[in-house]
Amino acid sequence: MTRKHWENRPISAKEFMRELRRLEKGSVSRRHFLAVTGLATATATLAGSMPWLKPRRAFAAGLSGTVNLTTWPNYHSQQNLDDFAAKTGVKVNMSVFGSNEEMLAKLQAGSTGWDVFVPTNYTISTYQQLGLIEPLELAKLPNYDAAAQDKRFTAEGTINGTVYAVPKDWGTTGYVINTKKVTQNPTSWKDFWELAQGPLSGRVMVHDYQLTTIGNALKQFGYSFNSNDEKELGDAEKLLIAVKPHLFGINSDYQPSMRNGDAWMSVCWTGDATQLHRDLPEMQYVIGREGGEIWTDYYAVPKGAPNREAAYALIDYLLTPDINAKEVKAHGYPSTDQRANALLPKETLENPILYPAKELLSNLEFGAAQTLTNPLRAEIMARFKAA
Amino acid sequence: MTPMHLYAGFIYLFLYAPIALVVFFSFNSGRYAMDWQGFSTQWYAIAFSNELIVRALRTSIGIALATAFLSTVIGTLAALGLERLKGVLRQLFDALIYVAIMVPSVVIGIATLIAFVTLFDTLNPTIEWMLGRRAEMGSWTVTAAHVLFNIAVVILIVRARLTGMDQALVEAAADLYATPFGTFRQVVLPLLAPAIVAGFLLAFTFSFEDFIIAFFVAGPDTTLPIYVFSSIRRGVTPEINAVGTVVLLASLSLMLIAQALLRTRRAAAKPAVPAAGAR
Amino acid sequence: MSRQRSLATAAGTVAGPHEGARAGGRSPLITALLISPAALFFIFLLILPLAVVVIYSFGERAPAGGYAPAFTFANYLNLPARGKAFLNTLTLAPLATLITAIVAYPMAYFLALKAPARWRLLLLALCIVPFWTSQLLRYYAWMMILGSRGIPSWLAAIGIEDLRIINTPSAVLIGAVYGFLPLMVPPIYVSLEKLDRRLIEAAADLGATPLSSFMQITLPMSLPGVATGSMLVFILLMGDYILPQFLGGGKVFFIGNALVDLFLQSRNWPFGAAVSVALVAIMFATIVVYMRFVLGLSGQRRVALV
Repeated sequence: MTRKHWENRPISAKEFMRELRRLEKGSVSRRHFLAVTGLATATATLAGSMPWLKPRRAFAAGLSGTVNLTTWPNYHSQQNLDDFAAKTGVKVNMSVFGSNEEMLAKLQAGSTGWDVFVPTNYTISTYQQLGLIEPLELAKLPNYDAAAQDKRFTAEGTINGTVYAVPKDWGTTGYVINTKKVTQNPTSWKDFWELAQGPLSGRVMVHDYQLTTIGNALKQFGYSFNSNDEKELGDAEKLLIAVKPHLFGINSDYQPSMRNGDAWMSVCWTGDATQLHRDLPEMQYVIGREGGEIWTDYYAVPKGAPNREAAYALIDYLLTPDINAKEVKAHGYPSTDQRANALLPKETLENPILYPAKELLSNLEFGAAQTLTNPLRAEIMARFKAA
Repeated sequence: MTPMHLYAGFIYLFLYAPIALVVFFSFNSGRYAMDWQGFSTQWYAIAFSNELIVRALRTSIGIALATAFLSTVIGTLAALGLERLKGVLRQLFDALIYVAIMVPSVVIGIATLIAFVTLFDTLNPTIEWMLGRRAEMGSWTVTAAHVLFNIAVVILIVRARLTGMDQALVEAAADLYATPFGTFRQVVLPLLAPAIVAGFLLAFTFSFEDFIIAFFVAGPDTTLPIYVFSSIRRGVTPEINAVGTVVLLASLSLMLIAQALLRTRRAAAKPAVPAAGAR
Repeated sequence: MSRQRSLATAAGTVAGPHEGARAGGRSPLITALLISPAALFFIFLLILPLAVVVIYSFGERAPAGGYAPAFTFANYLNLPARGKAFLNTLTLAPLATLITAIVAYPMAYFLALKAPARWRLLLLALCIVPFWTSQLLRYYAWMMILGSRGIPSWLAAIGIEDLRIINTPSAVLIGAVYGFLPLMVPPIYVSLEKLDRRLIEAAADLGATPLSSFMQITLPMSLPGVATGSMLVFILLMGDYILPQFLGGGKVFFIGNALVDLFLQSRNWPFGAAVSVALVAIMFATIVVYMRFVLGLSGQRRVALV
């Protein structure tokens, strides 16, 4: 078929997104998508020039059964999981949680049957202390390259030199606004909480998760996101209780309500914002100027995982750079792996939702272990919900 | 048409409109509920080719069948035994039956969770040494918790039927030299059948539709209600409507079959002549 | 919730006093064999777990959550920290029960006294059939109806803008009435159906108006049915989690929500155990009050008939 002259120019962001949507819906084949977006050529070229990019399929023989993956909502490409099942014969049984506390609660209750789960950076030391996760056998993860990881995001997976978790992706916690309804152009957490009590009353959501809800309430006053100081937490609690009557809901599953117009503004994680914006361009992501949270999610294997071999196979598969890149395109969270980033189109790398400006990033804090386990914060959250 | 008729009609509308809505939107060709895009049966195909849904459905049916079977057998036996029990032991048992029914499901779920966790923590080292694997929570723990509640229900239903039974029949069978077991098999059991069937169906339905107890004790296994719950929180596609419609039709048919069965049994069980027991 | 269905059936068939001893002396061994499976279940899956809960309620929260062995009353003393959850539940549950009873009564009256005899059981069954749909889906339907694409959008079309129903106590009330109506109708129906029509005829012959014969005969004699239905609904509402979760969107906090939070989020197991014990205590207090009330009513009934 003759090629038109415009088919040789690089694809624009809008066209990329359109083709991506068509691919997701299944209207076009992967081959078409890769060809049209030029990714096929790009990958082939890169693979040729960088031998470490070629995926090493190191699946152990004798894999069978199912692998139980416990993860977060909208966090994986179903296509990748199906491909894994096709290649190894191991079905992926995915269950989804909305907070690290729930994951911790289930693991503490014991016998979860999980093989792989996705903890956030601040939980790993707690899991290690409680003896709930096992050190990873890096020999079984040939596709994991510690050197290729962005150092900012990988420290907490290694405790005293032993690797307990390998990074999956990173992200930020900000808030998403429906710009068709929110015309005030907020840029800070102060704006968020003021709008929630004012013109956007009845249309705002916060997470059912003490870390982000209390943390971002603390930001209004300029306190640390991780504060455990009683007075500061008291101020945050007062703010939350004042805001509560104005909230639409307290729910970590905010996408449905944002999509159907019940809520116009919600505390939000990077990838959800990417997904919302991809489908509804009026959705914009805001990182509060005062700061907020930056986080890394990891893959880890809990003690007593029933299908350890398959667990390692799955993690290894998902960390393979080209598979990892596909994951990023599906879920919209930025990867910690430079090799995966090399495979992403320029538009993704320049997307301010996934890769916010440096000035915004520098104010963000990683969550701390005590922040999660602090009983006072848990109690404040419960009091807030009961109010 | 009196005001009463209008009121009743309105109540029926109130009761059925939401259900009709669920069924209606299962045929929506669009992706979002309340956003009618045209007629399509695609979601039924999608739902039943969804691994997770099929697995959850199978788990739920398995648990429900096991629960129904176990609670019916154990409950019926217990009801028969309780008839002959007197005194403090009997009162204790009666109290336990009411406790089992009155304690809220959420507390039962929590209590069972804590109990199993403590049990496993203590026993697992031994079990692992003996059998090479640990005891974990799963479908069997859900079944155990469900069976408890349903034993109480079956006992109440069967017992009510037992006390309503005509003693003359049993005595007649004894007069005709029937063995106790023979009397049981040919007189008591057929008369109890409607209650046993009712207990079986109730146990099945309760177990199949329970969410909160399974939520606490299912471990890694997913029952259909757990799956539906997660879906509703994350954002429902008409897949869930499709599954719901199918389950609704299935339970309705089950009920109709049970009704028909019970009616014929009642007719057949009318004791014209105590022909039972003659050996 | 099919547990409601089971309760309704069980309540309707609770055995009266046992009449006559069974002929023949079957050995105690057989009795023991018959009841031992059930006894084992009750011991290991009811008494033991509840005992563990009570033991936990005196414990302490482990540093990262969970249970640490201890003996302290701190958890019970801390119950007021969840006072709001108890308050929410203890105000909404009775209110919902009352509204459900009021809505159900005319329906039951119609079915028992006005509907043609042939259709009565069918119409009653039609009232109960909504139970055969998963409660999750029925509440989900209401999330759709009360969400911004449902009733509020219709109201916006006629000019009433920006009305929010979902995620409010009103939504939970509507959901409760909807969910428990099929449970309230049968007991009231049963007690109305047992009513001796001759009493009403006699009253009419003696010159009573329909209203006064209703107030003085029908209503009092159907109260046991109303009480039974109300108790069932109230008990189920007290422990509910899904209804406030779905229709309250995290803003309506019942004891059920507090319990799920304590075990699966704040992971304060001892405190959660104490809240569970408190909840069960309240329920049993309710039942005792109900039993006294109903027995008292029955006593009055017998006197009135003489």
